[in-house]
Amino acid sequence: MKMKQMLKKAASLALVAVLAAGLAGCGQKTEAELPEKAEENLPEKTAETAEKDSVVVVMGPSSEPEAGFDPAYGWGAGEHVHEPLIQSTLTVTDADLKIGYDLATDMSVSDDGLVWTVKIRDGVKFTDGEPLTAEDVAFTYNTLRDTSSVNDFTMLDEAVAADASTVEFHLNRPYSIWPYTMAITGIVPKHAYGPDYGSDPIGSGRYIMKQWDRGQQVIFEANPDYYGEAPKMKRVTVLFMEEDAAYAAACSGQVDLAYTSAAYSDQTVDGFSLAAYPTVDNRGFNLPAVAAGETDENGVPLGNDFTCDVNVRRAINLAIDREAMIANVLNGYGTAAYSVCDKMPWYNPQAETPHDPDTANALLDEAGWLTGADGIREKDGVRAAFILLYPTGDSVRQALAEETANQLSEFGIDVTVEGVGWDTAYDRAQSTPLMWGWGAHTPMELYNIYHTKPGGKYAQYSPYRNEEVDRLMDEALASPSLEDSYELWKQAQWNGSTGITQEGDLPWVWLVNIDHLYWVKDGLKVADQKPHPHGHGWSIVNNVDQWTWQ
Amino acid sequence: MSTDRAFWKDRRFRMLALAAAAAAFLLAVTVLGSVWHDAALETDFSRKNLAPCLKYPFGTDWMGRDMFARTVAGLSLSIRLGILTACVSAAIAFVLGLSAAVMGRFADGAVTMMIDLVMGIPHILLLVLISYACGKGFKGVVIGVSLTHWASLARLIRGEVLQLKASPYVKIAEKLGKGKLYIAFRHMAPNLFPQFITGLILLFPHAILHEASVTFLGFGLSPEQPAIGVILSESMNHLAMGRWWLALFPGLFLVASVLLFHYIGQTVCRLIDPGSVHE
Repeated sequence: MKMKQMLKKAASLALVAVLAAGLAGCGQKTEAELPEKAEENLPEKTAETAEKDSVVVVMGPSSEPEAGFDPAYGWGAGEHVHEPLIQSTLTVTDADLKIGYDLATDMSVSDDGLVWTVKIRDGVKFTDGEPLTAEDVAFTYNTLRDTSSVNDFTMLDEAVAADASTVEFHLNRPYSIWPYTMAITGIVPKHAYGPDYGSDPIGSGRYIMKQWDRGQQVIFEANPDYYGEAPKMKRVTVLFMEEDAAYAAACSGQVDLAYTSAAYSDQTVDGFSLAAYPTVDNRGFNLPAVAAGETDENGVPLGNDFTCDVNVRRAINLAIDREAMIANVLNGYGTAAYSVCDKMPWYNPQAETPHDPDTANALLDEAGWLTGADGIREKDGVRAAFILLYPTGDSVRQALAEETANQLSEFGIDVTVEGVGWDTAYDRAQSTPLMWGWGAHTPMELYNIYHTKPGGKYAQYSPYRNEEVDRLMDEALASPSLEDSYELWKQAQWNGSTGITQEGDLPWVWLVNIDHLYWVKDGLKVADQKPHPHGHGWSIVNNVDQWTWQ
Repeated sequence: MSTDRAFWKDRRFRMLALAAAAAAFLLAVTVLGSVWHDAALETDFSRKNLAPCLKYPFGTDWMGRDMFARTVAGLSLSIRLGILTACVSAAIAFVLGLSAAVMGRFADGAVTMMIDLVMGIPHILLLVLISYACGKGFKGVVIGVSLTHWASLARLIRGEVLQLKASPYVKIAEKLGKGKLYIAFRHMAPNLFPQFITGLILLFPHAILHEASVTFLGFGLSPEQPAIGVILSESMNHLAMGRWWLALFPGLFLVASVLLFHYIGQTVCRLIDPGSVHE
């Protein structure tokens, strides 16, 4: 009996292997067959495209908002920021990531930076016919302050409707980049907000959510009463699929735009072209800037005896060949990253560091890290070695970690790559470099990464502290105007004598910004994209209302 | 007719030779895999996504890792884990099975209950639970796999012991005043040996498949490690791009080693307990 069972098991496994091989074979075949199929459908398609004003977009399954389209639970104002489409926002970020107006018509801030007064447009209606007033705006912000778990609203004391078209935000600390928060916060109706709002949202934005089949798709239709320019795309369908399914959907021509990754970039899909959009979706790793030995209040060990040497960190930054990395790992679809905020108005170009192997070696030699018998440098008994963690399941970060290890091995630095789950990654990163992904449309990210944690001894994600950097960022937040604050954010990165760039403390090394790749059906004209933030999801449809078919 | 050919005609010898060859192959995989562990981790982006060729018989993956080295290293890990599992399970099964039969009704009831308990929970679920509780990773897989395979062998041994207990020669030994332990080791153990060895070898395929499943599901090793399950689950992402070699060869190798173990187990069973063939 037992043996029979075993045989059955073995046989079924063999079957799986053969099936797998068969599948792969089929995959290639269907590709070859596709053009014919496409032609068969052609007459029908042309009739359609004459008046085509709908689009089918494929995103990854993680883009589907679990809690629905409620800003309080991360819609738009979440970990991955984007424009909320269904709701209007007070401000918007333009192509250069500066601030423009949506609902707002004017805004001003008090001299002490604590009160923001925003005038809003008249005559804006929610899609249920009720007018949008300052009451709704105040209600939205107060609700988010109390409930939002994904975005920071702790600086907001209270939002008050001064009159029907004026809202005042009372802050408990100066926060000059408040307009960036306003750009991602969709305004919800006070009269129609409740626990079910996420699955049945009402807004005043460009689109109305018509249908949501959980785990499958969301259908948006243009808002006929929209106060701005009428959307050109009347119907937007968003499908959620895994990467291989998205590729297959593009191959079969059933969708108009499908996300993909560099791994697929050497494939071709008939009737589609590959579009690459530049991003600030960066990857880089932290280098704990203090020596090992300490623990934080929860007993998590802090610091690393190798990376606490600033010369080591500088040498690593010089040793990394970013262009080779982009060619090897991203098939060329990326740009070199030197900071967490490349191309943003608050980016200090001083961060740019050329690939310079000779200087890197010289720096290590000077600092006393000399090559030992096994080809690995060491100093005072400490080996020039570290573990580089990456989140399991993220093949791009894994490949970047491996490439980093390969590149650094030529400099006598021994890097071991290890996968780690997010349940332990944050704690381990306090003593071990981790391959991170960041990039947002707000300078607050600089603060989150480099500023000492309020009430803590070091920065939140990797132990580091520099009082001058802290001071400049605090000053930037307290700055009366946004324009002035950009300058201070830049100084916090490098002010001529200290900072977080190559010449400064360099507690993080940035590698690449990953282009967001999409299969775009021929004839679909995707409107110009501003640099996408971290998260390969909703940002692509920020301006879907301006897309057209040709 | 030379004696060599006569030997070859002897079915006993033929089976032994084939089983030895199979064992030698598995041993070679085990040893080579341990030696190649570092090679299996090595990435080289200048040779990524190569189809099988002379230099890389199993091709390379998206980070330019040599899939042959990875497959062999993965199988080696599986087999070594199989050995450990087989030893641990066999020891547990032997002790429990024997004590169930020897130590009286109460002990027998307790052991039977434990066996039923372990066999009553779906195996893969129990495995995932144990390895998760033990902190996932390599340690979790090792503990999980080695602690969940003893039940069927223990049940088998218990059954045999019960049968032996009723046999005349054991009864006579009892009447002669021999102690229970004496009877267990002196009279019963030799009779259990064939079932025990066969059962032990047949644990391997189980352990290997379960190790592969649990790493495939992502509860086991970190993805850079070479393990058959990890290799197969990674290959799923690349099948759509036509990289069939990532799944086919590791899959076939896994099946082949499972079948080889199965064959060895059956052969050994027939050789040391010819009577069982007629059962």
